Amino acid sequence: MENSASAALEPLLSFLTFSLSTLESGFYKLPGSAVVARYVKSSHQNDPGRTILELILIIFAIRTLLQSRTRADRSGKHFIKFSEKEIDELVDEWTPEPLVQPLTEWEQKDLSSVPVIAGPNGPKPKLFSTGKTVTNLASFNFAGLAGNEQVKDRAVDTLRKYGLGSCGPPGFYGTIDVHIDFERDIAEFLGTEAAILYSQGFSTISSVIPAFCKRGDIIVADRSVNFAIQKGIQISRSTVRWYDHNDLKSLEDTLISVEKERKKRKGPLTRRFIITEGIFERDGEMVDLPKLIELKLKYKYRIILDESISFGTMGRTGRGLTELYNVPASQIDMLVGSVANGLCSAGGFCAGSAIVVDHQRINGTSFVFSASMPALLATSGSEAITYLRNNPSVLLTLQDNIRAVRAVLEKTEGITLLGHRASPIIHFCLRTQQQSLSVTPATYDYEAEERILQDIVDDAIANGVLITRAKHLRGQEMIESRPTIRIAVTAALTKKEVEKAAGVVKTSVTRILSKRR
Amino acid sequence: MSRPSLKLPHLAVPVPADSLKGRRRSGSIVKVEEVGGRTEELLDRSAYLNINANWVNAKGAWLIHVVLVFMGKIIIDTIPGMTQQISWTLVNLIYLNLSYLMFHWVTGIPFDNELHGGAYDDLTLWEQIDDGAQYTPSKKWLFTAPILLFLASTHYTNYNPWLFAVNLTALIVLAIIPKLPQLHRQRVRFLTGDASGVSTPVTPSFPQMENPTSITDAHFK
Repeated sequence: MENSASAALEPLLSFLTFSLSTLESGFYKLPGSAVVARYVKSSHQNDPGRTILELILIIFAIRTLLQSRTRADRSGKHFIKFSEKEIDELVDEWTPEPLVQPLTEWEQKDLSSVPVIAGPNGPKPKLFSTGKTVTNLASFNFAGLAGNEQVKDRAVDTLRKYGLGSCGPPGFYGTIDVHIDFERDIAEFLGTEAAILYSQGFSTISSVIPAFCKRGDIIVADRSVNFAIQKGIQISRSTVRWYDHNDLKSLEDTLISVEKERKKRKGPLTRRFIITEGIFERDGEMVDLPKLIELKLKYKYRIILDESISFGTMGRTGRGLTELYNVPASQIDMLVGSVANGLCSAGGFCAGSAIVVDHQRINGTSFVFSASMPALLATSGSEAITYLRNNPSVLLTLQDNIRAVRAVLEKTEGITLLGHRASPIIHFCLRTQQQSLSVTPATYDYEAEERILQDIVDDAIANGVLITRAKHLRGQEMIESRPTIRIAVTAALTKKEVEKAAGVVKTSVTRILSKRR
Repeated sequence: MSRPSLKLPHLAVPVPADSLKGRRRSGSIVKVEEVGGRTEELLDRSAYLNINANWVNAKGAWLIHVVLVFMGKIIIDTIPGMTQQISWTLVNLIYLNLSYLMFHWVTGIPFDNELHGGAYDDLTLWEQIDDGAQYTPSKKWLFTAPILLFLASTHYTNYNPWLFAVNLTALIVLAIIPKLPQLHRQRVRFLTGDASGVSTPVTPSFPQMENPTSITDAHFK
């Protein structure tokens, strides 16, 4: 047995020994082979284990050296390599898409439902399509300054004196003396050291935030802030922590957790900001300013307060939440307001200390890169401030009107009113059987509710009251909110008119909802 | 004007439902996290040349490794009572530690920080080289230099098993593993508590936890 096995293997073994000896003789014929042999022998040092480990290392090193270079991080990792033929085929097949996709039926309806006004806007404008006069509860005209004669006269004089355009960015030939006067007026009105004027209301807060908050800074913001603030926070690249909407207990917990995080990481002390709105545009809630200031002082944060809605509407003379709560405006580090909403002119401002304002003259993006506002809008703003100072009764009228509208709408079946009792914008949404407290989105049908609300709006317009849905960029905002109708109360209407208009809205609501049921 | 009440229905629906889990997840002991991959960071990095990482491509930067190791060995050999084993071990360990410190520990950039706006704050020098491309010539050199040093040291001395093990582990842990492309921009974190990312701790007042039927119309009056 063994003999036959070894006999079978014998030719194989002899072949192997022969080939090994030829390899060896061939190896020694190569120049420098003796050096290599000596090196390997002395490295080996009679320890096969180490040699194997070193061999593994050498093989790994050679493998690394032979790998080809991969792409860098920033060039897309998702590029597919096509062959020439494939590229030609794809090019032949290609048909250009339209720049704008054709509108869906709902979008078409939405677009055509926007009312067009013939003539100047005001509390009782005339519709272009029907020629009827409607009561305007949709435009922001809180103190009744739209179409105010005093403001109009001043604007016409300014137009005659300065012309229309402002010729450039504020830093580059665009600043006129009326801008400086208006900035001074705002600062005096609010009681801050200085103010800076931006020419567009939306881009004000989204320029102020990146001017002060940089990467590495910490922002603690309310979840329901408006779109402009969200964009500003995104541009600033700071670390954001969100707290529950208008919940100061949640804010305090967030502030504590941020401090704990920083201590754990043993990081350096960076700038920290709290960003919130005075009156939230999304639902009309009002923030508790004294408590906020208390928290800010305790945890050493800076406050950026967006008073887009509350400036020109709250307080005895319209100075905003600072007057309402009797808090000195110097306690708020950056007070951002909207001249377009509150004073019915255009643009926005940021008021604060002299250093805060001067920093923005170089670092506020929209200040540096956008044209300044026309002179007549600046003088209209100044005139509006004078008007508010001299006629504080306008704001009492506004509050009466708000109460009247709320009283009528609260009695309406099938809707829920949102927001603070004194807020000049009143949102209401449809009320379902189970109130919308559970957070799963499946409890309400966004599109269906939008359609119902649009029907209510159309019905109200047909009956002489102009209202609007609150429009949001669905899918682009951070949180999705339930569709609402927004009513902007104005002091230019009398209490009777406002009550009548609210009654019309109420009947529209009941009519549409009963039809649906 | 009375103070506002806070008992109003919460109407907003946060879209990412999983970010509300907050405290419910237990902290893991070891977690591997990716850093520095956000779009805005990638954009900010590609705006200008990064001179803090380009210098490794210069040939002088390659030669300096050899020169420094050479000089280090000579200096260490001058210490009285130094044996070959300890000397080579010391050279090996010091080289590995210093190169680890320089390439894999320190993050951020010392020069031109304003140009990149903090986009490199989380990246080590190794991750910044060649904009994160792998197997580039400098990276290949930096990969092979410690290996060559180790092989040279085992060739010229006869290590006892302990020192060999020390050298080999130092090589693998400090030089090979951090340079692997699989660990590019990954960080190993120990004993993270509740990971506070975009979410914040869910407070008791958050409506999710409340019984929906407990809120009645009376709250709206």
